[in-house]
Amino acid sequence: MRLRFWFLLPTWVSMAALFAAPFLIVIAYSCLSRGVYGGIEAPWTAENYLRLFDPLYLTILLRSVFIASLATLLCFLSAFPAALFISRARHKNFYLQLVMLPFWTSFLVRTYAWIFLLRDTGLINTALEALGIIHSPLPLLYNDGAVLLGLVYGYLPFMVLPIYATLERLDPALFEAAADLGAGPAATVFRVIAPLSRPGIAAGSILVFIPCLGAYLTPDLLGGGRTVLIGNLVQNQFTTARDWPFGSAVSILLMALVTLVVWQYLRRADEPGL
Amino acid sequence: MNRRTFLISAGFAGCAREQRPRLNVYNWSAYIAPETVPGFEREFGVRVRYATYESNEEMLAKVFSGNSGWDVVFPTHSRLEAMRSYGVLAPLRHEWLPGLGNLAPDFQRPAWDPRLELGVPYMWNATGIVYNKAVTPVPAGWADLWRPQLRGRLTMLDDPEDMLGACLKKLRLSFNSDVAQDLRRAEREAILQKPLLRAYLNAEVRDQMVAGDVLAAQLWSTTAQQAMDAAPHLAFAYPAEGFPLYCDCAAILRESRRQRLAHQFVDYLLRPRISAGIAQSMRTATANGAAQSLLPEAVRQNPALYPPREVFGRGEWARAPSPAAQRLRDRIWTEIKAA
Repeated sequence: MRLRFWFLLPTWVSMAALFAAPFLIVIAYSCLSRGVYGGIEAPWTAENYLRLFDPLYLTILLRSVFIASLATLLCFLSAFPAALFISRARHKNFYLQLVMLPFWTSFLVRTYAWIFLLRDTGLINTALEALGIIHSPLPLLYNDGAVLLGLVYGYLPFMVLPIYATLERLDPALFEAAADLGAGPAATVFRVIAPLSRPGIAAGSILVFIPCLGAYLTPDLLGGGRTVLIGNLVQNQFTTARDWPFGSAVSILLMALVTLVVWQYLRRADEPGL
Repeated sequence: MNRRTFLISAGFAGCAREQRPRLNVYNWSAYIAPETVPGFEREFGVRVRYATYESNEEMLAKVFSGNSGWDVVFPTHSRLEAMRSYGVLAPLRHEWLPGLGNLAPDFQRPAWDPRLELGVPYMWNATGIVYNKAVTPVPAGWADLWRPQLRGRLTMLDDPEDMLGACLKKLRLSFNSDVAQDLRRAEREAILQKPLLRAYLNAEVRDQMVAGDVLAAQLWSTTAQQAMDAAPHLAFAYPAEGFPLYCDCAAILRESRRQRLAHQFVDYLLRPRISAGIAQSMRTATANGAAQSLLPEAVRQNPALYPPREVFGRGEWARAPSPAAQRLRDRIWTEIKAA
């Protein structure tokens, strides 16, 4: 008992100091008034939460949920075939290393790299023009498409790895059985492999959806500040708007949403037959 | 002090490599010449811890704690009043700043700090239009940034103060307007302009101006000058309707325990030769009149850095909005972005 206490102590201390305390501070800030120049002041108020019901902010929230869902779907569509391929390939470790390779460089630098690829005088437009396919540059950068591309690119590995982990554990005998029972390759994938990899798909979707929902760097850099997602709203309240209490309230809303999604996932994961 | 604490502190003192006093200076990035700080360290026999920030908010978030560890910071003039009211500024002691007389006349008794009690004007800049010379007719005012011809090749600053300010100026209203009706009219202008915009970009637009992706952009004069140094096909216009002016000031914090040394550093920056060296190597516009006269003719005549009197006179010094106006401006900014 004593030993267990001492071994768990660092975890408890770091959770209290790095999670619980900041979380309580954010909650407290969200119920205070805005200081004239940033910071917080008395009195306590619920106004910051009431402001969230403003249609302006609800629209931003819905937009963020829509973009994050779309990014998750696109991630799934590109990650599933990749994971399936890797799980059946001969050089699994090599391909897995390739999936993780982007993490060797900072996310910020990689996002800037996309700007250099997508802009009017960037690599893609220059190449297409040189080949005579287009005559004036395509508007690839600073739109919702670029934001989605950045999100899918950034979080793809978080989808590939969990799906790979479930696929890799599947018994190859199942595929043979499916073939013996008359299923073609397509039917095997859709009716056998896909349903069996649902836990991996669900885990990957959670891992992609949550950071996409709070993303602010990608919409800012690749969207050119033309749109505002909930992450940008939070960031803006703490920087230029200097409204810490409202920024805290938006953060709490974001966290509540994320908790809801994870809770739904855990509840489903407990259901039998999955 | 008992024997043990004496031994411990003696041990630490022995370990310390440096015994010279240390001054902590926190400045904007790219805002000092490479030789400025080493020169001060040599002359005064001190060490300087020098670090940089990218926005006033970043610096103020630390300074408002009252325990930031910095001695000298460089807020924009419009932030000085807030810093004073929060009690983080040390009043300037003019007897320790003999170089104040070197300031240009415009900065001797500035409107925001008539007796120079809060900060010493350092470098100033304005917000205007940088454009590609291929654009005809040449953009001369904010209204030209609403031309359909620029669709997709135009950017505005990703900064509520400057962006709304340009809309206000287009309407011939004050850049600093606190009137709700004015701000709402400016919002309509911004939403009208949004379909023409490629993006809201700050300093990042510099490369895209140089590469030719963007033909016209709202930009700060010193950042524009850096782009123009890299590309002769670019030019800068001080908009006809008027424009905001910003002056970054050297301010000494109340928390500083080296008030004398901090003043010595600020006075060192006031020396004409030092200030001219900074202005020349960083391509900024100095508030130091004596330094201006040391600059080469070509720099002094550069219309982007040192515009003629009549152009400078169209400028309006930025002012911090009232809390209510600030709140409305924030909301309008979010509405523009969500539109």
